[in-house]
Amino acid sequence: MNPEFTRNVWLELTPRRVLFMTVVLALIFFAAAVSGGSDWRPAAVAVFLYYFLVVFWGSRNAALAVVGEIRDRTWDSQRLSSLNAGQMTWGKLFGSTIYNWFGGGICLAVILTRDLVHQGVLHTLVELVYYIAVGVISQAASLLASLVAIRRKQRHTRLEIFVYQMAGIVAAIAVLLVWEAADPAGALLMGRKATDTIVWWGQIFDTRQFLLVSLAIFAAWTLVGCYREMRLELSMTNGPFVWLGFLVFIGLYTAGFDAWLTSGQQLTELDAVGRRLALAGSTFATLTYVMVLLEPKDRVLYRWIAGQIVTGRIDRAFYGFQAWMMSYIAALAVVVALTIRLIQFEGGFGEGPAVIVAGLGFLTRDVSIFVRLQSLPGRRRGDFAAVVVLFALYALLPAILGGLDLGGTLFCFYPKPTDPAWLGPVAAWTEAILVAATTIARLATGERSRARLAPA
Amino acid sequence: MIEVRDLVYEYPSKRALDGVSLVVAPQTITALVGPNGAGKTTLLRCLAALEPPYAGGVEVEGLSTRDSPRAIHALLGYLPDFFGLYDELSVRRCLTYAARSHGVAAALVSGAVEKAAQRVSIADRLETKAGELSRGLRQRLAIAQAIVHEPKVLLLDEPAAGLDPQARRELSTLLVSLKDAGMTLVVSSHILAELEDYCSEMIIIDNGHIAGGKALKVRDDERPRYLIELASARGDLREFLAGAGVEVAEADENHAVIVFTRNASARAKLVRDLVNAGFEVARFGESTKALEDAYFAQVGRS
Repeated sequence: MNPEFTRNVWLELTPRRVLFMTVVLALIFFAAAVSGGSDWRPAAVAVFLYYFLVVFWGSRNAALAVVGEIRDRTWDSQRLSSLNAGQMTWGKLFGSTIYNWFGGGICLAVILTRDLVHQGVLHTLVELVYYIAVGVISQAASLLASLVAIRRKQRHTRLEIFVYQMAGIVAAIAVLLVWEAADPAGALLMGRKATDTIVWWGQIFDTRQFLLVSLAIFAAWTLVGCYREMRLELSMTNGPFVWLGFLVFIGLYTAGFDAWLTSGQQLTELDAVGRRLALAGSTFATLTYVMVLLEPKDRVLYRWIAGQIVTGRIDRAFYGFQAWMMSYIAALAVVVALTIRLIQFEGGFGEGPAVIVAGLGFLTRDVSIFVRLQSLPGRRRGDFAAVVVLFALYALLPAILGGLDLGGTLFCFYPKPTDPAWLGPVAAWTEAILVAATTIARLATGERSRARLAPA
Repeated sequence: MIEVRDLVYEYPSKRALDGVSLVVAPQTITALVGPNGAGKTTLLRCLAALEPPYAGGVEVEGLSTRDSPRAIHALLGYLPDFFGLYDELSVRRCLTYAARSHGVAAALVSGAVEKAAQRVSIADRLETKAGELSRGLRQRLAIAQAIVHEPKVLLLDEPAAGLDPQARRELSTLLVSLKDAGMTLVVSSHILAELEDYCSEMIIIDNGHIAGGKALKVRDDERPRYLIELASARGDLREFLAGAGVEVAEADENHAVIVFTRNASARAKLVRDLVNAGFEVARFGESTKALEDAYFAQVGRS
């Protein structure tokens, strides 16, 4: 058996703890049963307990799976072990939460017994998949958040560990909301009345089946994310193809929801292809922001990539690309395609293409700000500074200018239709080129001055 | 066995290693010494493929830490300066986990655990929880975890910290026996006295550089270090010795540390020459602080 899993079982599933959990849960269910009300009150209590044990507590244990090792100074020994990234990932993910799954398993038995009696085998199986998926997604999200933080060399204070735990809880809440919203009983999904069917890429699917498959796929991607971060922790390198695969998946997945852009949306006038490109482009741009915030801005890596590109080895440079770079390139490609589509649709470079091109310019500027503020020597809080700068650029300064009746200059801060149409893109790209150029120059200067200041 | 070329490592605000190059021969014990903050731990972590170099390279058994970190991990045992143990597990389970996670086959784990425990003299504590061990015994358990899979290279960062004199002596014996069993050891410490007994070579790290640019021989059985002590000060002691063709490691008006042949006749002649030249030789004997002498000869008595 996986040694890491076995070690966690030794630590977590001691006879005393197993007995304690069993007795406490039995007493709670007994109390629920004798307190009156519905015949299946224990099952309702079990649902609450499952979420508490597996999602709330389990995500905390998953967040601590590696962070706790770092805190207890055992992580280096584990990094030097012969366990591969897959073994380490599942050993940690399911090992650190084995006690939660033990308690959750008891709760699940009570829940599924009710379902089996009242709603049949198929519904019970669907519920089983849902409960396991929500537990795995929440715990994997917390583990992933903690691994990303480790790469960013966070300090792992109690607050930060709580943030990692919250990542899992938020993921579980998202899953729960979507799942509940798909209930034909009448919950709401993004402001729309839920139905028992869903349109995706023009095809009609059963909502619950569609969401179940989506859940399973996103759970798998979360696990893949954990695995790849674990590889990096074990001093291994990740090639670009898995992230590219994810980009293709997420682009196609989100593009399939074009039928949802039917009313009150700016892109309603577009044809299906245009709407799908817009959805995919927005997704890639969002991923660029998320990844440039999360990934360590490693000037050693940037130096290496620049060296490869300068010497014409683009293919080798590609292997060193970070996720935000690939997301940016994907966004760039989709925006170019969308712009061409819009020009064809509008019969010229009008308001629509101008806003899209300006948006890409601002994305370029913002990414450059993140890189500039974080990747320089001695910078520890560069990402925070970058977020503050972006807040100033997107909210603070526009609010001030708006208050001073200078609203006509807002196209310098975010994508906005202008007259003439080309003014917005020119402003955005001027800013982008200036910030990108100074960032590259500053990085190069930093390298040279560091070389000069090296101790003799 | 280990080759480091122009290694540079940087923290966000500091260059910790700057152009370090060294070679560690197989089946040797090399001391890594230097003041606190000199870069010893960083160098060990780079050797262990735990930290990627900013520039330069590290090879262990011909494998690059940049290209084959996991293959290198499989060759290594590593004891960090501040290590942790699983306090709630018994010593046996701690060692079993270490063995299994380092790829020891299930059928061989029990034997490997017993052997490692015996090597560090904790075989009688196998059923004790790690959290109940004294500091010295915890250190021994940590070393046992690092050697349970019989690594080819063993990196130890301050291994004697917290050990009593008896345990330090046992540690020396253990490290020598591991070397004799075929391991290559690199031991970091800033306590020179504890390295004296078992190290054959010494690398002095100072401010991210290797002082003197290369490893120094700690003990040379053919040409050991001798201490000359004068009864009355003579400012020309160094010049006289150098003029006599003697390698002077360190000298002042009252003392000199020299590297000289073990040949008795040659030593007798040197003493005779010193006396004939008017030096009042109060003592001439093999230095008992070879490591310390070599260290201060390189970095100075600051």
